Amino acid sequence: MKKVEVLAPAGNLPSLRAAVDNGADAVYFGFRDATNARNFEGLNFSEKEAAQGIQYARQRGVKANVVLNTFPRVDNPAPWYHAVDVAARLGADAIILANLAVLKYCRERYPELPIHLSVQASASNAQAIRFYQRHFNIARVILPRVLTAPEIRLLHEKTDVELEVFAFGGLCVMAEGRCHLSSFVTGVSPNIEGVCSPARAVRFENHGDKLQTRLGGALIAEYEKGEDAAYPTICKGRFQANGRVYHVMEEPGSLNILEILPQVIEAGVASLKIEGRQRTKSYVGTVTRILRQAVDAYHHSPGTYRAKGSWLKELNASSEGTTHTLGTYEESWQ
Amino acid sequence: MMKISIGPVLFEWGRSALKDFYRRMAFETPADLLYLGEVVCSKRNRLTPEELTELAKELMPSGKEIVFSTLGLVMDDREQTEVQQLCDRAQALGIRLEANDMAGVGIGEGHALVAGPHVNVYNPDTLTFLQGIGVERMVFPVELPCDAMTGIIRAPREQSVEFEVFAHGRLPLTFSARCYTARAFRLSKANCQYKCGDFPDGMITRTQEGEGLLSMNGVQTMSERVCTLIQETTRLEEMGAHILRISPQSTHMPEIVAIWKARLEGRMAGPEALARLGELNQGEPFCNGYFHNKPGMHYVQPSNLTP
Repeated sequence: MKKVEVLAPAGNLPSLRAAVDNGADAVYFGFRDATNARNFEGLNFSEKEAAQGIQYARQRGVKANVVLNTFPRVDNPAPWYHAVDVAARLGADAIILANLAVLKYCRERYPELPIHLSVQASASNAQAIRFYQRHFNIARVILPRVLTAPEIRLLHEKTDVELEVFAFGGLCVMAEGRCHLSSFVTGVSPNIEGVCSPARAVRFENHGDKLQTRLGGALIAEYEKGEDAAYPTICKGRFQANGRVYHVMEEPGSLNILEILPQVIEAGVASLKIEGRQRTKSYVGTVTRILRQAVDAYHHSPGTYRAKGSWLKELNASSEGTTHTLGTYEESWQ
Repeated sequence: MMKISIGPVLFEWGRSALKDFYRRMAFETPADLLYLGEVVCSKRNRLTPEELTELAKELMPSGKEIVFSTLGLVMDDREQTEVQQLCDRAQALGIRLEANDMAGVGIGEGHALVAGPHVNVYNPDTLTFLQGIGVERMVFPVELPCDAMTGIIRAPREQSVEFEVFAHGRLPLTFSARCYTARAFRLSKANCQYKCGDFPDGMITRTQEGEGLLSMNGVQTMSERVCTLIQETTRLEEMGAHILRISPQSTHMPEIVAIWKARLEGRMAGPEALARLGELNQGEPFCNGYFHNKPGMHYVQPSNLTP
């Protein structure tokens, strides 16, 4: 069996080095503008840094993928096409794209540059994947977090592209690329501006013993003193519905598939992706190192693989919230 | 004059209620187009492609354009087969297919297609590509502001295309693999007991301060507030929109369509139309923020109101 790839996020050069040094097979990063979905202040790569990052990775046998996963703006689409040109010129190992027009541009201009279809393109079935293959000859598809492990296995049997799945990190509970919850309360669209629930729309307010978190003015959750407060997003909010107050969509917490790593690998995935270009280099280093160990342990002896307690403990400590979930990979989650 | 469409019913109303609803829309309202088909959940007790075909034939004498709408989040083989069947039926009937997912686009490639509001078209180049594979009409993503829609409409293109705007109804905001209605009853989707059928306009979700926020409709999350662009009809017309979509709700649909028609024909002023719609909405606040480049849940009073 071909060994599954460990793919790590890089929000800047130090994180990229941490990923490479801790055993990533590949890294992914974006440019410092709205062309990628982690368009946060102080994050991401200039052209020069991208060149340095690609060089650092390549010298150590690690692949570097460039992310361009938002949708070009009506009034100024040029930065998206420019970013494709830059990624091609710098010799990225692959380019991660979501938009049909950018896909077309890239395929026509740079037929040799491997295209990975972004999770933001929301290709969750064989017909959609074949459509993207037919028109853009995509090499890989990054699956939306909507499929169970058995569904991924079936998809693998019915398609002949590489499949990349999220293994660890923040968990979108909606079909990626097709979620307007952030823009509904903040006016900022992840699809257009590359930011979900932007910091400028967030407020943490103390009211006596209570801490309230707000997004775009809407109350997302209320915490007792001493409770860990999660970063407010609509999908992880505590609201009133059906006569009670609860996390109507999902509890704050991270995706972590280590406990079902064999099922996910045996479903036929080529790459395990760590989410978190917005996280610190220490997060990137830790998560990469543990996923590396887990993947090596699995491939060394698939039959005896078990997620180690020490891995889970260390990963929980680097998570948003201190809980983790198998997310949609397990049918009961749905 | 801009036309009025009745969007696909997004809720679980049951088969006979669905048929009755579309019969009323076809023969008792001045709407111009009807979209039929299950967009939200393939588990629902929906109309099969065969039944939709029968219904379409029954409705065609109304003179309204009938369109079949596909599922918004397609995952398994059964769902893909159903999209294929719907596409075949649409072709046999000589009607368009509204694709709401890239499976719908892929299966419908080469046929007469509508790119539904769940297909991401954020720029003219994307629309040009889609026109090349059969798209003759697009419904804008609900989050696009007026200026972005205008930019797409006015971009130069070789072949003309129609533009439809989501103009009235609870906004469809997103899909998930998880069923939030089932979750509210501590059930999984696999054993959902069709709880969404108890919520004909979705399950209202409020903040802990009681502010209406969302409406959970099975695997779909919608706005709690009804979006209405009734005061923006002049700008919609200037912008170049061809069709305005009214998304079905469980009550007052004929009255709502009549108010929209009166507004479009200039028989009713914007403020009066808004007031009338407000009464039908039990005085609950509307939203229209997206159109004005603001958070979608807000309501912006248009500054250049024309009587």
